[in-house]
Amino acid sequence: MMTEFLTRLRFLIFRKKHGEFHDEVQFHVEQSIAAKVAAGLSVSEARRQALVEFGGMERAREECNEQRPGWWTDTVAQDVRYALRGFRRDPIFTIVVIATLAVGIGATTAVFSVVDRILFRSLPYGHGDRLVSVGMVHSLEKQEFMMGSFFFDWRDNQKPFESMAIQGTMPHACDLVENNPVQLECLFFDAKFLPLLGVSPVLGRNFLPEEDRPNGPRIVIISYGLWQGHYNLDPGIVGRLIDVEGSPARVVGVLPKDFQFPTLQSADVIFPMALDRAAQATANGGFGTPMRTLARLRPGVSISQAKLEMEPLFEHTRDIVIPPGVRKDVHLSIRSLRDRETEDVQLAAWILLCSVLAVLSIACANVASLMMAKGEARERELAVRSALGASRARLIRQRLTETTLLSLFGAAVGLALAAGLLRVFLDLAPTGIPFLERAGLDFRIALFTVLLSLVCGELFGLLPALQRPHAIALAARAAKTFKSTVLRRSLVVGQIAVSMVLLSGAALLLRSFQNIEKQRLGMQTGGVFTVRIALPWFRYKTGQKQMDFYLQAEAAIRRLPGIRAVGISDSVPPGGWQGGSRSSDLVVEGKPKPEQGPGEPLAVRTVTPDYFQSLNIPIARGRNFTEADRRSKESLMIISRLLAARLFPGEDPIGRRVHSSYGNAAAWYTVVGVAENVKNGGLVEPDAPEIYYLRRSAAENWDGRAPLLIVDSALSTEATVRWVRSQIAQLDPTVPVATETLNEQVSKLADRPRFETALLGFFAFCGLLMAVIGLYGVISFVATQRTQEIGVRMALGATRLDILRLISSEGVRLIVAGGAIGLAASVATAQLFKSLLYEVTPHDPVMYAVAIFLLVLVALAATLIPAWAAMKVEPTVALRYE
Amino acid sequence: MPTPTELLQGTLDLLILQTLATGPMHGWGVAQRIQQLSKDVLQIGQGSLYPALYRLEYKGWIRSDWGNSENNRRAKFYRLTAAGRKQLETELETWDRLSAAVGLVLGRTAEAS
Repeated sequence: MMTEFLTRLRFLIFRKKHGEFHDEVQFHVEQSIAAKVAAGLSVSEARRQALVEFGGMERAREECNEQRPGWWTDTVAQDVRYALRGFRRDPIFTIVVIATLAVGIGATTAVFSVVDRILFRSLPYGHGDRLVSVGMVHSLEKQEFMMGSFFFDWRDNQKPFESMAIQGTMPHACDLVENNPVQLECLFFDAKFLPLLGVSPVLGRNFLPEEDRPNGPRIVIISYGLWQGHYNLDPGIVGRLIDVEGSPARVVGVLPKDFQFPTLQSADVIFPMALDRAAQATANGGFGTPMRTLARLRPGVSISQAKLEMEPLFEHTRDIVIPPGVRKDVHLSIRSLRDRETEDVQLAAWILLCSVLAVLSIACANVASLMMAKGEARERELAVRSALGASRARLIRQRLTETTLLSLFGAAVGLALAAGLLRVFLDLAPTGIPFLERAGLDFRIALFTVLLSLVCGELFGLLPALQRPHAIALAARAAKTFKSTVLRRSLVVGQIAVSMVLLSGAALLLRSFQNIEKQRLGMQTGGVFTVRIALPWFRYKTGQKQMDFYLQAEAAIRRLPGIRAVGISDSVPPGGWQGGSRSSDLVVEGKPKPEQGPGEPLAVRTVTPDYFQSLNIPIARGRNFTEADRRSKESLMIISRLLAARLFPGEDPIGRRVHSSYGNAAAWYTVVGVAENVKNGGLVEPDAPEIYYLRRSAAENWDGRAPLLIVDSALSTEATVRWVRSQIAQLDPTVPVATETLNEQVSKLADRPRFETALLGFFAFCGLLMAVIGLYGVISFVATQRTQEIGVRMALGATRLDILRLISSEGVRLIVAGGAIGLAASVATAQLFKSLLYEVTPHDPVMYAVAIFLLVLVALAATLIPAWAAMKVEPTVALRYE
Repeated sequence: MPTPTELLQGTLDLLILQTLATGPMHGWGVAQRIQQLSKDVLQIGQGSLYPALYRLEYKGWIRSDWGNSENNRRAKFYRLTAAGRKQLETELETWDRLSAAVGLVLGRTAEAS
């Protein structure tokens, strides 16, 4: 055994010399000849018989070589060398195949890396698939919420959940007051929250149940980011007192580095929820503290079952807690945590994924088609090699080596491309797409795409090699197999169909994006910027203090050169947060109260008179608020033209009085003006009727949401922003100031459609390009194949034009078939992404016409070029063509 | 001339080993000897002889050296190694057992095969 092993090892290292076999066989043949001559044959006859007896010399040599242990490593190297030589001989084929593979692999990998977290990857929590968000929703708040007044009822009486936990509605600004003060985001969790998620702090511990109670100890858990950025990963942080909002809090724990906040709004400091069950019944006007609730379903309980079981509890609560007017508008909602996090981008993600898979399928079809063409072109070479004694396994191995090499090259380029594309996606992508900043190249999917393209290449590359080489292929005139041509044609038809779908999808999105870009906002955005000042709450606790600060800031900015207007509001159109009310909150004096029901959502802003100047929103009737109004005690309002038409159809609204129960300031307001409509529901949502309340210089008008300043300047924005910052720094040097131009804000709103359009456009382009390469390949193949026929036809009197028609009709048939299938498929699928389209119907004939025109134009070019070449062939040459 | 008989899988190795047991020999000689001893029943196709010789050599059962043939030509001589001799013994035993068993099944005595 040992000696055998050693011998093998010896032969593995010291190979036999190449000439040995030759010498040995030579000797054998000579002996054979000598024996035959001795038996009385002539020398030449003896030699002939000896050679015939011996059989395939090459075959024998190969078989002898194959006896050596590890012989195949040699042939691999040999095959690789041979393949590389082949690639050099046909660089265009090689480049096209590698580029096709690279685009397919690269695009798929990049897109999958982006959508993986949105659609597929399990949430980073224990049993993430059983986590749900539970609560009420209504038309102004589409994310589930609960109130302290009924949460405990629900929690104690529910059946479908293992446990329920709560967090504050959203993070709020808070200050870390230490030697190096920073403004942070603070959030509340109850003691059950982290255990529900299956997350434990990396350092320290979670809140204890006895700490999560009213008047409990002031303790916090901090984020990993804060621990790293502010405390330099100091392991002694647990137990330390830090000064939050002007009073000390003890750090009890640190969140894990990759902790993902379930609402995707991250926070730096977590306080215990510390709800007082008894006090919740009366707090906040009897509603209790608003909160977000997560729950873990019991094993085997589905969401719809849970909903069914929670419905009685919900109805009971609704009838007690919710005012009758809006009762109909409030619903119970239970969604999986994944939907809570990503529902509004799932459709876009699916569409991107499907379109990139379409590109991948075109790429695979292309590789298959190219490989088949190559295989057919090399049929003769294979036949010759086989006749010289190469075994079929050997030929197949050779072929495998080539396709594998191509796939590996394609994969390498594709991965580089994927890295580049991902970078582009990240730059292009809107802020609203969750997890994007965490997206990294996904090597599982890269591997999958590489394997897939490998299979495409192998399968179709091997088809010709698997067939026993036709003896006829050895003859000068190559007979082409009919079957594979049919297969290639159907591949091309498929490619054209798929690119038609991509193209029409891209055209529709492009049209929709144009509509978004060119629509009128009803306000000016050039030269206007907003200033948000994050006043630390603990130093500016009262409405009076807030007002004093903002009025000083307003006055200081007004003194700057070039300033045309400085308005103050709580929000600006066209998108983002804005105050919401309902038409049922309004009663016009002298008219009956509107019928029961939630009514239509309204946009609400509380503004100073300069708001309208700074955004250049015209007052259509009546007058604007004046500076004098700000100091008066009167309650005034301006309504949008849309709201005027709703409340006062055919009447003059000026001077009429409206009772509003918006917020906590229920009062009668006098309408002084009607403003023109502005886009206020984002770029693609329909506009809401709008109310502008006057922001008077009285403390109660300033204790709501933090206001922002709107500055319209005639001078360069850059310089003005610098001056504004220095003015505010003079008032309070520690407050963080964020400025943003209105153009940036509007552009940000268009980011999503821009991203989707750009990506789908890119995929459509790639798909079309590859489909056209496929078409070109087939047509030029057909043209070459029929060269002799062309010669005969021309000799019999066909004109060159006839020839052009003959060849291009091949292509036209493929284009028409593919285009028709594609058109039917796009009409069928367009309905699916209706919700991504703005003011374009999914069956917009113009955009379909554009897509068809583009496809036909490019495809015809791909047909005519080889057809043209065929037409130019000299008949004499064509007749002699093999 | 009788039609050449297909050799059982693995039998060729045994024949070669047995032939070489009588002394070093080149490939031609091995083929001739087998043919002679079998009275022309067994004709070893060169296409399978050399792969078999190579295989046995790679297994370490035979070794090859270049030498001069009887008519003074350069030829490659194969000889049995110690491992080869042992292998031959085992294979002979196996062969005897097998042919006896086959003979029993066919109702003949082992000598008749």
